[in-house]
Amino acid sequence: MPPTPATPSALARLLQRKPVVWTLLVLPGLWPAWPIFVTRNPSVLADPLKFILHHLGFVACVVLVTVLTFTPLRVLFPHAPLVQALNRHRRLVGVAAAAYAALHFATHLLYEGGTDVAFLPAILATAVEKPFQLTGLIAFVILLVLAVTSPHAILRRLGARRWKFIHRFVYLAAALVAYHQISARKVFPVQVLWIFVPLLALELARIVTSLRRSAGSSR
Amino acid sequence: MLIRSPKSWELPESAATPEADYAQRPRSDAGPARRDFLKTLGLGLAATSLLPPALRAATAGFPAKVNRAYRDPELKPTPYELITSYNNFYEFGTDKSDPVEAANKGWKTEPWTVELAGLCRNPAKIDVNDLIAKVGGLEQRVYRFRCVEAWSMVIPWDGFPLAKLVALADPTEDAKYVKFTTVLDPKNIPGQRTGTLDWPYVEGLRLDEARHDLAFIATGIYGRAIPNQNGAPLRLVVPWKYGFKGIKSIVKVEFVAKQPRNTWNVMAAREYGFFANVNPKVDHPRWSQASERVIGAGGALGRRQRTLMFNGYEKEVAALYQGMDLAKFY
Repeated sequence: MPPTPATPSALARLLQRKPVVWTLLVLPGLWPAWPIFVTRNPSVLADPLKFILHHLGFVACVVLVTVLTFTPLRVLFPHAPLVQALNRHRRLVGVAAAAYAALHFATHLLYEGGTDVAFLPAILATAVEKPFQLTGLIAFVILLVLAVTSPHAILRRLGARRWKFIHRFVYLAAALVAYHQISARKVFPVQVLWIFVPLLALELARIVTSLRRSAGSSR
Repeated sequence: MLIRSPKSWELPESAATPEADYAQRPRSDAGPARRDFLKTLGLGLAATSLLPPALRAATAGFPAKVNRAYRDPELKPTPYELITSYNNFYEFGTDKSDPVEAANKGWKTEPWTVELAGLCRNPAKIDVNDLIAKVGGLEQRVYRFRCVEAWSMVIPWDGFPLAKLVALADPTEDAKYVKFTTVLDPKNIPGQRTGTLDWPYVEGLRLDEARHDLAFIATGIYGRAIPNQNGAPLRLVVPWKYGFKGIKSIVKVEFVAKQPRNTWNVMAAREYGFFANVNPKVDHPRWSQASERVIGAGGALGRRQRTLMFNGYEKEVAALYQGMDLAKFY
């Protein structure tokens, strides 16, 4: 017997609306302005660009993990209005993750070479030879490709199968991002756990649920 | 070979300003750090009216006499506020903004005893202020400071040459290295209740490095007692090496025969060696060391500059490493 669809909560109704989601995605990017301009935190002002660099990377990571939870949530709670609301914005949130990764990478170029393009080759050469930097770069390229191929027109041109194959690379990007974040610090940053462990738990639950359902339907 | 010439700043203890007088001295009013710095150089005073009251650590020996041999006019000192709020001191948290808060919440750096031990003729336990008097007071030197994370500062340290402390302990012929240990006090030092690093923090120098005139024990910054977050009441400063060699809040100086395993080397040997000499040609596994960010310089975008061999002290220290493969002994 199918469960009766639940009435959407206020939160779910709010999250159905695009402007709300847009706002939620843009605000974290503006956060560094607070310690730099408002509280004038000397620890941040010592090297404000570094603070912005790290913050944008962190936000990119959180937004990416957020969009990755949408599918397992839909598998686990197909009738929850909140989950349905979130899944309406999959593409927007995914593109936002790519946008934050792009901002993070642009800040890295600025941080390493200033506005002088003469430094670009050296910065990229360093990025390619250091696993810590290379993992971030590959993850960024993957997200960029996914963002570019996200419109419906491209999905139709590629066909669902090929499109899906390409977009599964997001899981590789997430794994690379986890490594990139872990190696960004001199000691293991605990934040990586609280970002990635919930996602892993959701994915495991999703796999178990899918297996159970397919076993149930084949009987 | 180093020729020792008598130093102009060697003062008898009687010449040190009593604490009470020092506190009474006129303060300069608010002004840019640069002006404070010039005052520091000119008068042996720093502006303190701007600064939050900190726990006093080693208070003897101020005002320090400026050592003109270590005052490169090219070097623009980093503002005091940044030097004292952008710190790697993992005992008080892993974010650079943590120590300024956490190190000033009841952790006491006074009174403080330093132990001289190991292969030396004069082992002793000595109060830090007595130690300052024993080595002949303080001098101020302006040194470049380069962190392994590829950022740098310029810091006016007050202190005394490490060589004087070595001479005081008088190591035997068997001593080849000096091992330094940071205080261990998990009750008052929050980071030491976690397993971030293998506490207590340990660092070491080869004995000839320790005797080099540039190796310095700092008890002050900008003419005032060094704040807790910068390693009160006394810390090591080795300006031609990466900052992590500059062990903070020292309780023990030991003379040993074998090279000690320093804490970061134990943590990640591939990334942090024993020598840790600043070298633009030897990269860190995760980033290049060819250039560095200058803290507090260059406005919104900041400034990056080329890293100098031995952090600009090549002329003075290169001889210590003659014939050594610096990529192998990083």
